[in-house]
Amino acid sequence: MKYFILILMLPLLAFSQEKTGAQIINKVNDLMNQESSEVTMTMTIITSSGQERTFEYLSYSVNFGEKNLIIYQAPSRVKGQKMLMLNQADDIWAYFPRTQRVRKLATHAKKQKFEGSDFSNEDLGSGDSFTTDYNAQLIDEENKAGYDCYVVELTRNPRADISYSRLIVWVRKSDYVPLIIDYYDDKNPDRLLKTLSQSNIQIIDGVPTAMRMIMHNHSDNTSTTVEIKKVKYNVPLDDELFTERGLKK
Amino acid sequence: MREVLLIRLARLHAEHPWKMFLIVIILTVLLAFAASQLSVTMRWSDLLPSDDPRTIQFNKIIQEFKTSTSLTIVVQGEEKRIKKFADELAPNIVNAVNARKNAEIETDVTKLQEKIKKRRSRGKDTSDLERQIRELQGGKDRKLFQRVDYKLNMDFLRNHAMMLIKKQDLENLKDIFYSPNLTELLTNYNNAFEKEYIGRQESISSREKEDGAVKTLDGIENFIAFLQKIADRQQVSEKDVEQTVDFLLFGDPYFLSYDQQGLVLNAIPNFSLTDIDLVVAAVEAVEVLLTDMADDFPDVQAGMTGFLAISRDEMIYSEQSLGTTSLIAVIAILILLIISFRMWFAPLLAIFTLMIGVLWAVGVTALIVGQLNIMTQMMMVILFGLGIDFAIHLIASFSERRAAGGSIADAMQYTFTKSGKGVLTGALTTAVAFLTLLVSHSRGMKEMGLVTGFGLLSILLATFLLLPPLLVFKERMWAWLRTKLKASPQKSRDISFRSLGALSNWLCNHYGFTLFAALLVTCAMAWLSSKMTFDYNYLNIEPKGLTSITLQDTVLNKFDLSMDYALITAETPEESRRLAQGCKDFSSVAMVDDISNYLPSPAQQQERRPLIVEIKNEMQNASIQSRLPRGGFEQFRNELQRLQFNIMEMQDMAFIGGQDKVDNKCQTIVGDPEDVNSMNKIADLLRTLEEYETVADIFDKFQRDFAPRFKASVVRMCHAEPITLSDLPEDILDQFSNNKRDQFLITIFPAGNIWQDARFLNQFTDDIERVTDRATGMPPVFRALIQVIGRDGRTAMLFTIVIVFILLWIDFGKPGYALLAMTPLAIGVIWMVGLMYLTRQQFTVMNVMGLPMILGIGIDDGVHIMHRWISEDRKNILTVFSSTGKAILLTSLTTMLAFGSLIFSIWRGFGHLGAALFVGVAACFLATLVVLPGAIGLLNRNTNKSN
Repeated sequence: MKYFILILMLPLLAFSQEKTGAQIINKVNDLMNQESSEVTMTMTIITSSGQERTFEYLSYSVNFGEKNLIIYQAPSRVKGQKMLMLNQADDIWAYFPRTQRVRKLATHAKKQKFEGSDFSNEDLGSGDSFTTDYNAQLIDEENKAGYDCYVVELTRNPRADISYSRLIVWVRKSDYVPLIIDYYDDKNPDRLLKTLSQSNIQIIDGVPTAMRMIMHNHSDNTSTTVEIKKVKYNVPLDDELFTERGLKK
Repeated sequence: MREVLLIRLARLHAEHPWKMFLIVIILTVLLAFAASQLSVTMRWSDLLPSDDPRTIQFNKIIQEFKTSTSLTIVVQGEEKRIKKFADELAPNIVNAVNARKNAEIETDVTKLQEKIKKRRSRGKDTSDLERQIRELQGGKDRKLFQRVDYKLNMDFLRNHAMMLIKKQDLENLKDIFYSPNLTELLTNYNNAFEKEYIGRQESISSREKEDGAVKTLDGIENFIAFLQKIADRQQVSEKDVEQTVDFLLFGDPYFLSYDQQGLVLNAIPNFSLTDIDLVVAAVEAVEVLLTDMADDFPDVQAGMTGFLAISRDEMIYSEQSLGTTSLIAVIAILILLIISFRMWFAPLLAIFTLMIGVLWAVGVTALIVGQLNIMTQMMMVILFGLGIDFAIHLIASFSERRAAGGSIADAMQYTFTKSGKGVLTGALTTAVAFLTLLVSHSRGMKEMGLVTGFGLLSILLATFLLLPPLLVFKERMWAWLRTKLKASPQKSRDISFRSLGALSNWLCNHYGFTLFAALLVTCAMAWLSSKMTFDYNYLNIEPKGLTSITLQDTVLNKFDLSMDYALITAETPEESRRLAQGCKDFSSVAMVDDISNYLPSPAQQQERRPLIVEIKNEMQNASIQSRLPRGGFEQFRNELQRLQFNIMEMQDMAFIGGQDKVDNKCQTIVGDPEDVNSMNKIADLLRTLEEYETVADIFDKFQRDFAPRFKASVVRMCHAEPITLSDLPEDILDQFSNNKRDQFLITIFPAGNIWQDARFLNQFTDDIERVTDRATGMPPVFRALIQVIGRDGRTAMLFTIVIVFILLWIDFGKPGYALLAMTPLAIGVIWMVGLMYLTRQQFTVMNVMGLPMILGIGIDDGVHIMHRWISEDRKNILTVFSSTGKAILLTSLTTMLAFGSLIFSIWRGFGHLGAALFVGVAACFLATLVVLPGAIGLLNRNTNKSN
């Protein structure tokens, strides 16, 4: 009888060992949203006249990605310009050193493109959007870019106000780093809009971190590359930094 | 049967040369008349299948919408000068008439008047002739263009501009229109600027938003200049005030480039693009106008582009270019023949025969196709290269036999039996191979097959009918001259290539080495072939150096607008609006131009109406202040300072957002932040104002001149009644609708250069075709062309291989011999593609056609060698290659010369095909020279072993 019960429970045991889409995405979410961070990075964009322009900036993030501050370092023309993104990039403030003014630029702006790049504000400062705005389902397991990955489909919650109808995420099994994310059109779930590829993964302060991100826009056939030069996690940051007054400092 | 016919023909030539010559003359006259009726089309859409929806739509659009095929005049220079130039040029274009037609009418009228005089002198009735003169004169001075578009229709905008602004934009901008008073107006502008990014759903980085920002900044720049003029106490005219108000409310009405150094005029013709005579006349008429104006405007550059100019240029220059390349080909072939035959008269006869043959081919083309297209235009050069081969083979045999002492009749019979068969098989195989292109779906390939297939047969017939009597005449004349001059009989000369024979003999004897080396080379070439790429850039096959083509790039660079747009038609304005909106949703689309830009939907108008009424009421109730309120001067300066800051911040945002046009525009107002010496117009105005104790007098001036006009203009443009189709002025309706007003045109401009990357071309075309299956224009047409021609090319190649094999099997009677004859061809094609890669060629929509064609052309070498080898009892490789080898070397060289001459064509597409075929013919000859002796050597060994 004891053996019989054990045999009956075997499938359940096997099931409990298999990860669900939600569990995987929760892990990804935890990894992507550290309590706070300080990052030096470069971003290269293509201007409307087709020229390449590279910016270097310092990015501070607190409260698990809910507040972000970007301070431009180069080129010299925009050095000192700051962008403060609150409420997961929905409200944006800017500080202009040339006029020494702080202005609120936008609300409900998370769907907008981030400064001429192929990233939207939502892509950059999404916080826990993966877990709150989408339903996750593990659809496959496959080898991607030489690594064993979970393939998780995130389908938009009916009430979520986000730009994509669904995402397909390839999550590296070994450390839960999302290597590839496919973003699908808001209105047409079959139309692939963008693909984010993350590479050069290094362990920084115990956190596996992609030092290189390429967002490819399939509609425009353009790409934006972000290179992380330096990163620190869980650093103490003054709350005032993320205020209108802090912007002027 | 074939041999009997050839022998009879040889006898006829030898015995009745004059009768044969007479038949040729009659045929030539008839076919020359047919040739004169041949027309030319330069439209890419005409290469697609006639029932292709893109072709049908395109032809419908060019017939119904004259605006879609306008003549674009691009003017470059300093802003004021180019505007003046355009203002002077536009009425002249509208008044331009067809000078050539007028001259023709004048000539006809003069002739008729002379007839009338004669009739009157005989006392006869002349009323019919007088009626003819009246009819002719009625056709004089017909205007070529209906209008020239180079400015916005200000009358319509002045009344309805508010109704054309989106609800969201009206909500954001309405504050601007609340007061006409100077300080308040500036305050309202500043408020709007600081509100600009708040609560928007759409990004400012989109093309339309960037254009909108530039337009607003243009108005502000003009407004600042106006204030500066007042501050400098300069005279301000009524026109200055009107212009400033218009700029502020509607932007610059001229179609100016972003740097304001370029201006575009679109001359709308009174005729369709299909009327090629009028196309040429219209372009030439405008060309004359531009030349005439050059003296008065030495600082202004003007050129033409667009459908009309490109069609004219492509036709005229390609005709000239093909004339030159044909001449180069003929001269080069003649020189080659004179050197190789070591005689000059026979080559001249060969060329003469070829000319007559090509004339017949053109006549036959006119009868069966009616017109030449972009691809078949070069048929003459192709036929020169291929058609001369027949004459070479016949002359070679005839001279050989005569040199060996044969009589004329004997030499003629020898020629027809020895070479005639090979020539006939070779020509029929090539012609049938070309005719297999008829299985193609594309008209371009189909017509190419018809034209070259029947053209080659025409030259074959001309060679068989004309060359022999000419050779007979030549021999008789020579004999008569020798008798007259008592000259000694001509010495026998061996004109065969012994060294070629010796080489082939060596290769045959060392067949193991030969075949192994050939295999190695073939493997290497196959590997190189796999690396070949396809060039999707249609501009790379267009003629080079033509102003109309290069100006397309100027328009793309200066106006950020590709002239290679897609077109869709709709049956109602509602459908037009729906389709336009569908296209606007794609990021591959930069801009959509359709009637809904001037005719918003009733629902859109309904939701805008309350806002328009609100603005109108606010402005109507706003009083024009006669005096500056207390502290007003300081407030005015503060608002100016605030405006400066707002534009600076906009500039910084534009810089990090990569919006170069906005950044550049801001730079013209507030200067370059990286150049302290750059001009800041607002700072300059502030400095001027610092010189005054009070701004009252300036304010008075502004209030007196500007404020009332601004108020009146805003009230007028707040026309809240709905706009209907019948409210639209004729020029706007003509721009988007056909004459019956039951079809509406939508023009979709791509967001980038569709030719730089095939993926973008596919993306743009896919996006548009997702909205409707009726899309046409260059991007859908060219993409379809690439697909159809690629598919056709593969099908035609397979058909050609099968048909050539069957023909050769019938000819040789053994499938093994047919395969043997085809082996060098198969290897030659692999070598051809490998060599194309080595010579840095890419496949294009033009040269990809060379692959099925080379199957028909390249087979001849193997056929001739096999025929000769069989007739030599499968022995004497030395003789086979010394004699027939020489002939195929010559025919290959002549064909290569003809195809090679296309490289000099102004049409780069022709050059691509010429270069591919040049390499292909050389590869097939080399493969025949190497592979066949090796294969024959192997066969001989096997035969000897079995014996």
